[in-house]
Amino acid sequence: MILALEYQRSPARYLAARGVTSTALGSRLTGMVAGNVAPLRLVNHPAPDPPGTGWTRVAPRLSGICGSDLSLLAGQSSPYLSPVTSMPFVPGHEVVGETLDELPGLPRGSRVVLDPVLACEPRGAKQCRWCGTGRASRCDHVTIGRVSAGLQTGFCSDTGGGWSRQFVAHHSQLHGVPDTMSDERAVLVEPLACAVHTVRRVDMPSGASVVVVGAGTVGMLTLLALRELSPAVPIHVVAKHWHQQERALALGATAVHPPGRATRALRRSTLARMHVPERGSEFLLGGVDIAFECTGGASGLDTALRLVRAGGTVVMSGMPSGHVDLTPVWYRELSLVGAYASDAGGPDGERPDFARAIELAATAPLEDWVEPAYPLRRWREAIGHAVDAGRLGSIKIAFDPNRE
Amino acid sequence: MSRPGFVLEVDERTPPLLVHQGEGFRLERLPLGSKVVYPPDSLPGVRNVDAAIEYALLNPMGIEPLPELLKPGMRLTIVFDDISLPLPPMQTPDVRQRVIEHVLELAAAKGVDDVELIAGNSLHRRMTPAELKRIVGERVFRSFFPDHLRNHDAEDSANLLDLGTTDQGEVVELNRRAMESDLVVYVNITLTAMSGGPKSVSVGLASYRSLRHHHNVQTLRHSRSFNDPPNSAMHHSYERMKDLIGGHVTVFQIEATLNNDTFPASTGFLNKREWEWNLADQGRYLAVKRANELLPTKSRRRLWQATAAPYGVTAVNAGTPSDVHPQTIANVHRQQLTEVQGQSDVAIFGLPYICPYNVNSIMNPILVMSLGLGYFFNLYRNRPLVRPGGTAIFYHPVPGDFHPVHHPSYIDFFDEVLTQSTDPAVLETKYEQQFATDPWYIQLYRKSYAYHGVHPFYMWYWGAHALEHLGEVIFVGGNRRTTARMGFKTASTLADALEIASHTVGTSPTISYLHAPPLVMADVR
Amino acid sequence: MAVRDEIRLLRHGRDWRGRSTVPRSADPWIQSEEEREFPTGWARSRVAVVVRSVLRRGLLRPVTWSQTRPVVEGVEYLENLRGPAVFVANHSSHLDAPLIVSSLPRRFADRLAVGAAADYFFDARVRAAATVLFFNAFPVERHGSRRLRSLAVDLLDDGWSLLLFPEGTRSEDGWMSAFKPGTAQLCVSKGVPVVPVALRGAYAAMPRGRNWPVPGRPRISVRYGRPLHPLDGEGFRELRTRMMRAVVRLSAEEELGWYGALRAEADESLELPRRSAERPGPAEWRRVWESTRPLDPRPQRRVWTF
Repeated sequence: MILALEYQRSPARYLAARGVTSTALGSRLTGMVAGNVAPLRLVNHPAPDPPGTGWTRVAPRLSGICGSDLSLLAGQSSPYLSPVTSMPFVPGHEVVGETLDELPGLPRGSRVVLDPVLACEPRGAKQCRWCGTGRASRCDHVTIGRVSAGLQTGFCSDTGGGWSRQFVAHHSQLHGVPDTMSDERAVLVEPLACAVHTVRRVDMPSGASVVVVGAGTVGMLTLLALRELSPAVPIHVVAKHWHQQERALALGATAVHPPGRATRALRRSTLARMHVPERGSEFLLGGVDIAFECTGGASGLDTALRLVRAGGTVVMSGMPSGHVDLTPVWYRELSLVGAYASDAGGPDGERPDFARAIELAATAPLEDWVEPAYPLRRWREAIGHAVDAGRLGSIKIAFDPNRE
Repeated sequence: MSRPGFVLEVDERTPPLLVHQGEGFRLERLPLGSKVVYPPDSLPGVRNVDAAIEYALLNPMGIEPLPELLKPGMRLTIVFDDISLPLPPMQTPDVRQRVIEHVLELAAAKGVDDVELIAGNSLHRRMTPAELKRIVGERVFRSFFPDHLRNHDAEDSANLLDLGTTDQGEVVELNRRAMESDLVVYVNITLTAMSGGPKSVSVGLASYRSLRHHHNVQTLRHSRSFNDPPNSAMHHSYERMKDLIGGHVTVFQIEATLNNDTFPASTGFLNKREWEWNLADQGRYLAVKRANELLPTKSRRRLWQATAAPYGVTAVNAGTPSDVHPQTIANVHRQQLTEVQGQSDVAIFGLPYICPYNVNSIMNPILVMSLGLGYFFNLYRNRPLVRPGGTAIFYHPVPGDFHPVHHPSYIDFFDEVLTQSTDPAVLETKYEQQFATDPWYIQLYRKSYAYHGVHPFYMWYWGAHALEHLGEVIFVGGNRRTTARMGFKTASTLADALEIASHTVGTSPTISYLHAPPLVMADVR
Repeated sequence: MAVRDEIRLLRHGRDWRGRSTVPRSADPWIQSEEEREFPTGWARSRVAVVVRSVLRRGLLRPVTWSQTRPVVEGVEYLENLRGPAVFVANHSSHLDAPLIVSSLPRRFADRLAVGAAADYFFDARVRAAATVLFFNAFPVERHGSRRLRSLAVDLLDDGWSLLLFPEGTRSEDGWMSAFKPGTAQLCVSKGVPVVPVALRGAYAAMPRGRNWPVPGRPRISVRYGRPLHPLDGEGFRELRTRMMRAVVRLSAEEELGWYGALRAEADESLELPRRSAERPGPAEWRRVWESTRPLDPRPQRRVWTF
């Protein structure tokens, strides 16, 4: 029997949460909604059993709270994803933990980070065309196989998830962590892998101008990945909070703009023309070449679409929510590119995102990104803190399931 | 489990913090990155105080147990600290009452008849009978007042005994009755590390001739700080005097230390860390603040002066002054000491409504200066909280009110002396002698309830070290006229104060806020 | 400063509940709040007792009786019972407590407190308040390292009867599992009589996972047995066995009838549930199959003929 935070199926609560957070006033109460209306409960339930050989039980040391988790709890995530999840599940897919069973190449007690994607190999399913070509994040078989439906550990009822004292993982999902890397850095490896993958989704010609919309964890890590992996280009960051602006500049952003002034500032730097529609926000005729949308909110995507030049690219790296006017995509002939999770980088598998992320995490300036971890018992506080992280000067909130 | 003191760094998540401001308080949003020094949690008080007192009397340090020192037919004098301690006054029964009762029980059992109780008030004002009764308790009061329970009179030359001078030429002249006794029992409360030990007898029973050797500008400038006896020139002087006294008379010193339960439960939020305030605390804060603002001045003052602190006693120790005092100081540090790394450019202090010299009285501007630049500035060990040449910001309205009965010499000091100069050294040379020997002030001191004529000077000297050390002093919310007279600046808000300060310390200074009361001493590394 | 400004200052850095996040540098010095038990004393005040009685007779019982068809037997065994008693029942559904509470005679029902799992019912304040109001519930710790002293002893001392489910949780498949020792220990130490109650058909009507009974007013039988008084020198293990036998016998009465069940018990042919780890026997689907067998055949639909 282990302590775990369990998300249960409750259409009523989901709709109630969505209803509240969709209003203007209610969106300010997202922390309260995510903690109290969402069907998340702290329970004692039996630990999940490994579904077969090649699986090990893992005891998490630190589990991060991701924006997608918060979106789920606030009812803002899309029902599209319901078939690729199986309830009740334990959330938590950004995990650094210790293995509890022996695996070839990973002795018992090793410290590992989790690549949460549950693709053909963990599922023991016949290899789909994507897993065969090293793009496991696009797996078609996420609903079949040895474990129940679930696109990732943390959305699957059979595997458990990071927000508990124990879950199970397949050896293909686990990557060893060097002893020199602290738990706080290791827990950032998974989101960093997603950022690396995002950056690799587009070609960056030198001289391109880039804007990163949003300066939370995703935005900051995308900025970091851009600076490490692409040629030096001017990168503008749209950040709402003061401490985010400071950090973005420290990570190498060319300029940082608060959301209200971003369009004007980019207009000047790209010598574009700005127009204000009768309803809706202003947009540029002209603008940057590539925009990375890292907030996961409707207004962020809206901003990104309105800042990009004709023929430009908008990369969606945050899980989207809300409704967005897609007229700019049609009129300006934009490319809308989605970036989800991470993979091994193509048929030859020679650019695995996860391994690159581990390398980067060892040297990147990631001190003080993770707040002191919360115990599972104080989960409502932790969720409330994570929802308001920007305003409260934090970047990443994590659980330490072993802390009382 | 009592948490130790710590230094908070203000970040985006910190709620506004409480700052005391005379007879009131407010919430202040300090700039990000400011350091706030919090005292350790209030230690639990000894559950059975009487048992602790008995144990101390029977197991003193460096001297025989009290019963062995008491003999029939001896002359016993019990001296006790006056109303300047503790602050705020302790809820009855005062710990001094309990100690004195225990001592008298032992004395009665041993057949001691000649017992005198003297309040060690030095040049402070005499205490009224009601104030005496509150300290010693009904039983003791009824048995000894008025003939054998009285205040020390430092101007009664017939009743002063010159014990000689120390090797540094300091005259030691003390109360005759006490010095001619067979045993002096001193009942002390060590509220801060400044009091107790050698200070008790050598100051409490002294006269002006004696006090001027350590209550002067030079000594105070070299007391860094006077809450840190090993580094305080003033305490070195006390030590020398104590050695001289020890040669004449046996002193049995009983010292009690208190915890940090400074505020009654109804204003319990004043004792709690702000982010731990629950809704009830927040509601109480609002209610008390609003009610406080709506009260007329006189009622407000009376209400605040009437609050009594539910202090718990953390320890009672007895022995010779030199043996017992290190133990007492260790207890004080346990309750009040917090380690701070480094000095800052700006130090902020919120001054409360009470200082040792306005109990049941009014805090005049000079007392505000001595509370701020004297007591609060010197709540440090090693180095002051603010760097040399830095700015100190105090919160107090500095009203220009004076109590005509208690502080007559202060009025003249403020109106005549301060207009001439604010430099303590100048005041000392030119004016101190006049005020100290003025017969009118002496009469008021002896017959009425007034502080000695020289007392305002001592208050001014109390801040001499700070005046030398600081580059600038700003009062937030202070009365423009009174602060200007004292040579300080005023601002209406913290932001304005920091802007004024920016001329001295720049536009992004490091800021420290000493979160007292309850009392905290910063051990600045 | 106006009150509005003061309030705005107070709200800065605090959430909707008035709680502040702890500043980063103060994090190592957080005082872990001792878990405060949800206060339940208010539900035992005079006013609350009256309100609960009205709610039970006016709301709980009519709704439960309208959604199911309970058949209550054995209430006459309680006639001569005086003083507080502990009612124990098998537990397979959230319907168990409403059914028992609504079927007890008033003198017991008004003086009854129900033991509810602390981690399930007392997790969120709203659910806790509702459970406490409707059922006079008190928290019972199931897991957790902190052993809060249960209120059960104090309640018995004050003359409150208790309704406890010694299995500790609702059954997964409708079959009774072994009783945990706590209830028997309590009764032995206080010398309080135990009334066994058996519920059949509750699992079929509203098993785990459902929050409302299945449609069609399924039949549920509630059977009270004779009170068991703890014998002199009886240890809690013996009392626990007696309790389990009594509940199993009452449960078997559904098929075997009263005398048949008594005979079966005497012949030792009634199987007592053993601890789950050591339980062989039929596969899970068959156990659920048996539990969801309707208690009586559907009544024939009348066909009117001219």
